[in-house]
Amino acid sequence: MAAIEDLIGELSKLPGIGRKTATRLTYFLLKQPPEAGRRLARALDAVATRVGPCSVCGNLGETDPCVICEDTRRDRSTVCVVEEASDIGAIERTGEYRGVYHVLGGHLSPLDGIGPDDLRLDGLRARLSNGSSVREVIVATNPSMEGEVTATYVRGIVEAQSVRVTRIALGLPVGGDLEYADNVTIARALAARREME
Amino acid sequence: MRLTQLTIRTFRNIAALDIELPAEGVVVIGENGEGKTNLLEAIYYLVLFRSLRGAKDRELVRFGDASFFIAGEGPRRVAVGYEIAGRRKKVTVDRVEMKKLADGVGRLTAVAFAPSDRTIVAGGPTGRRRYLDIVLALSEPGYLAALSAMRQALRQRNAALRNGHGDAARAFDAPFAAAAGTVARARRRWVAASAARFQDLCTTLGEAGTCSLLYAPDHHREDDTAGHIEAALRRTFARDTRRGMTTVGPHRDDLRLSLDGRDQRTYGSAGQQRTAAVALRLLEAESLAAAEGSPPVALYDDVFAELDRGRQERLLALIRETLPGQAVVVAPRESEVPRDLLGMPRWTMRGGTLDRP
Ligand SMILES: [Zn+2]
Repeated sequence: MAAIEDLIGELSKLPGIGRKTATRLTYFLLKQPPEAGRRLARALDAVATRVGPCSVCGNLGETDPCVICEDTRRDRSTVCVVEEASDIGAIERTGEYRGVYHVLGGHLSPLDGIGPDDLRLDGLRARLSNGSSVREVIVATNPSMEGEVTATYVRGIVEAQSVRVTRIALGLPVGGDLEYADNVTIARALAARREME
Repeated sequence: MRLTQLTIRTFRNIAALDIELPAEGVVVIGENGEGKTNLLEAIYYLVLFRSLRGAKDRELVRFGDASFFIAGEGPRRVAVGYEIAGRRKKVTVDRVEMKKLADGVGRLTAVAFAPSDRTIVAGGPTGRRRYLDIVLALSEPGYLAALSAMRQALRQRNAALRNGHGDAARAFDAPFAAAAGTVARARRRWVAASAARFQDLCTTLGEAGTCSLLYAPDHHREDDTAGHIEAALRRTFARDTRRGMTTVGPHRDDLRLSLDGRDQRTYGSAGQQRTAAVALRLLEAESLAAAEGSPPVALYDDVFAELDRGRQERLLALIRETLPGQAVVVAPRESEVPRDLLGMPRWTMRGGTLDRP
């Protein structure tokens, strides 16, 4: 019983997974051939031992620096600041961005005990300090209140180093209907309107 | 607005109730504890998805059950379910699930009159702010979103102040000030626009003196622009840090009610406070009716018995004028319901079930 209880306990620590789901997952695995469980264990072990944060940008990968920081074809004069390493994947999938990244590791949220010292801000300062080749920092934190506050905070740091700082535009989703967009989104899209070219 | 159908499952002492509500309304007679106030609470829950009496959601689940469900059919069908286990609340409007509860708020509108309303006048400022917030959340587009943003920024700022993170606290000044400005300006506008009508209503209800309604902001601001609020936050920063909380902003404001220049809270008699409270509810009903285009459903929880005969007559006249829509009147005995209202269908409630002739 101890092994089963252990696994249920570990699984239920995952976000969005309660005890009930953890129990279901555990018994699902128990019904599979033993090899399935071992494969999962090996995958978890590989992630735990081989994957770590990039010492330059904070991206997660098996090499340090990460593949993006190592790639000489990327434009190192542009740094895109994101909250989480998983946000990099979303931007990379567009194929539109050729610069490098900086992962903060979250956003300011005093309610969750996350202050400026808990974000990778010193690392950002270091990347922008004297002799740096960075010309522009794009702040791509989430459009939540905490994401905006964090963006403002990052802006202060970047401006102190006399580097240009920009914020990704927030507005209506492409392919969506204006009628179904929520009020806040429409209000922001209106505030960020631009001349038609 | 008119509610045609109501479904209640395992809510308070009501196991299951499926009723069609008559167009003009209904009188429900039941002893205390039989469930008549629970019926009103269930109806009002469809407006704000919160207990009318300030109870926690899990306290609303019938004893021994795991969840409750309420649905009301009006101009739209609004339904809400709550589950103790996951503390999950699900709101649907016309069977479409709302991503945020706030998106479902005010799709059905009602105003609830209860004897405890006197505490709006006689109690602390929290109750008066809550009153203003409810009226504006249901009548002013964008108010609820601004209020939620203000509260979220306030919680973050206070947490940072408590942890001694001055930098992080200051970072929340801007979003707090922007939302707080919207909240305070809307409240001030509503109070200014409603003061004369408040006097009218009090006079009609038999109050001889001058009844005034005044918005009273905290001591540090005269102006509600975001810039001004931010400046006030900077000025009080040292004190806020010492106290570990934000001392400037609409969350500290009050709605001052006075009679002949004297504060109703301290100097009003019970009768005067009751009159002011009824006037506030009528004002709420008129604001909702103006915003909605039709009067809200009126819920009366045993409010007539405590008014003297003269005031009762005058209140009924006002109701006919400002709340001509549907009414649900509950009282312990028929003798406590004004004769005028007894023309409506009469039901009795016992042990959480309704007897309908
Ligand atoms: Zn990297």
